[in-house]
Amino acid sequence: MNDEVAPILSVKDLTVEFPTDDGVVRAVRGISFDVRPRDVLGVVGESGCGKSVSSMAIMGLLPKSARITGSIKFRDRELIGLKPKEMRAVRGRQIAMVFQDPMTAMNPVYRVGWQLGEAIKAHNKHFDKKQIRSRSIELLNMVGIPQASTRVDNYPHEFSGGMRQRVMIAMAIANNPDVLIADEPTTALDVTVQAQILEMLIDLKDQLDAAIVLITHDLGVVAGITDRMQVMYAGKVVESGTAEDVFYTPRMPYSIGLLGSIPVHTQDPGAGARLKPIGGAPPSLINVPPGCPFSPRCPLSDGTLCETVDPPLLRVGPGHLAACHHSDKLAAMEDPLRLFSAVAE
Amino acid sequence: MFSFIVRRILVSIPLLFLASFIAFILVVNTGDPLEDLRTKQNVPKGQIALQEHRLGLDKPFFERYFSWLGHAIHGDWGRTVKDKAVWDQISRSLGVTLKLVVFAEICSVLIGVTIGIISAVKQYSWFDHGATTGSFLLYSLPVLAVGSFLKFFLAIRLNRLLGREKNPLLKTIGESTANFCNVRKPQNCGFIPATTDFLTHAALPTLTLVLITFAGYARFARATMLETLNADYVRTARAKGLDEKRVILKHAFRNALIPVVTVVSIDFGGLIGGAILTETIFEWKGMGRVLVDAVTKVDPNLLLCWFAVTAIAVVLFNLVADILYAVLDPRIRL
Repeated sequence: MNDEVAPILSVKDLTVEFPTDDGVVRAVRGISFDVRPRDVLGVVGESGCGKSVSSMAIMGLLPKSARITGSIKFRDRELIGLKPKEMRAVRGRQIAMVFQDPMTAMNPVYRVGWQLGEAIKAHNKHFDKKQIRSRSIELLNMVGIPQASTRVDNYPHEFSGGMRQRVMIAMAIANNPDVLIADEPTTALDVTVQAQILEMLIDLKDQLDAAIVLITHDLGVVAGITDRMQVMYAGKVVESGTAEDVFYTPRMPYSIGLLGSIPVHTQDPGAGARLKPIGGAPPSLINVPPGCPFSPRCPLSDGTLCETVDPPLLRVGPGHLAACHHSDKLAAMEDPLRLFSAVAE
Repeated sequence: MFSFIVRRILVSIPLLFLASFIAFILVVNTGDPLEDLRTKQNVPKGQIALQEHRLGLDKPFFERYFSWLGHAIHGDWGRTVKDKAVWDQISRSLGVTLKLVVFAEICSVLIGVTIGIISAVKQYSWFDHGATTGSFLLYSLPVLAVGSFLKFFLAIRLNRLLGREKNPLLKTIGESTANFCNVRKPQNCGFIPATTDFLTHAALPTLTLVLITFAGYARFARATMLETLNADYVRTARAKGLDEKRVILKHAFRNALIPVVTVVSIDFGGLIGGAILTETIFEWKGMGRVLVDAVTKVDPNLLLCWFAVTAIAVVLFNLVADILYAVLDPRIRL
């Protein structure tokens, strides 16, 4: 990858905590990553692992009660602690976001052209009505909405789910952002539409020279299109590397568990036909136990080191990091992907 | 939209007939309108029979109902037991009630919704806690208590303090000064003195109604506003880089407005029946007083006309609520 290029977005030791009546929820517990121009970074993990919270932290959209520490730098400019007005100038202009559910993410009472225009106007105060309208139509054309010049006057409920997500993407790219965060952009869509939307995102990335942070729990989504990916678990990054690194030589049992949860098509009805779920559930983020957060569910857990010392994220190969005390064991295994089924048998 | 309105009006017609029939059953069974006359001594039998005939009491039930209905449809609402035109009395009272409730309702909605929005935006702030406490306090106070309190402790004391017992600043009785404008006092007949007279009379009952009504709207507006403030599209609006004022007003408030407007217009239909207790405390001759008088004096035609007017108002404002809903929410097609 283009490691020599300076990162456009650089997150260091980011932690996010929410004080609640039951205790402090430590949603993000020290994550670091860099996004370089034109990169596609895939962030995967199950619900509640901190994927969305960290992206909301980057956007500055977390509720006031959230306690954020660490550093989020956009082109060497620290975003944490920016005044609301300064943060507004970044939001939608330099970093934009596409949300999960296009059914609820658009305001039902305004026409899509109005909502697009609002996004344009927010960062181009000098635009007049005509310019805004022609730019709105241009954006709808860019995201592949047919008859954009009439569709611009429709309400969100007059669009299908996939078309709405296209409109949401048009809204996000309205001001040519440098970083586009897509938080589960295809989860709420039909499978047939998912691929189209992803393809379009990648096309737009090339057109706009933007970097994309693609948050998903679907490894299939990540596989084809990301340059780098990171696996998150219990508010931490547990493995990061290229998609090939993580898919073919995973060095963290949780990544293997996730891979085992994808349905595979195979000619041989005996092998790989059954999904191998990861037993148990992620730990509560209120009182995170010491040691590796995955150890209670991990077939490799040794019961001593794993349950007392949280493994640091260490280099296991060129550009490949993993947080596991036993990544060397995985490296030595002939077929690490069979780790979970080996236990089951 | 037009065909919806026509359809709704057509559906309302059988509804109103049904309502009038039920009202008629209730009214007929309220009591004997001529009880006073019958219990008095030395009233000739013929006179009672005459009155019975005039009020239609001598006819069988259905004949009585359809006779009343036939006249009512033609705008003839009949005469009271005391032989006065029913419609004159109802229309006068309706005017008095409207003067009271329209302004009070507008104030309640404006104050309530404003407080609700601020409470929701600053949830759990001192303002929110204060507004919640105050709202529940006023919401749970009976009108009787609020009205009497204002009358005796605010108005009468204030007037005494200002030394204006003879010509009080805040009037506590009636909707206007009796014989305020007549030949002997021509200076009182202009617009300004008449308005001033009305305002000094309206201040207390309006305040009473506002105090007991706005709290409900404040709570309702707060709840709907909290819901829309947490909606995904509000997050989208923030993600666009819009300023907070625009996010709150154009996105959250615009959507919170939909249920609020619906509830307010339905409430308004109910207000036409009059504010019985407030009108009684301040002795306004509005619709509420008419109802009380008509029930206590067992005046069938007056009661039926009251029922008809309030039923039409409720049906009409429900229609208004539906239309406003469709206007405010493009997803609703009428």
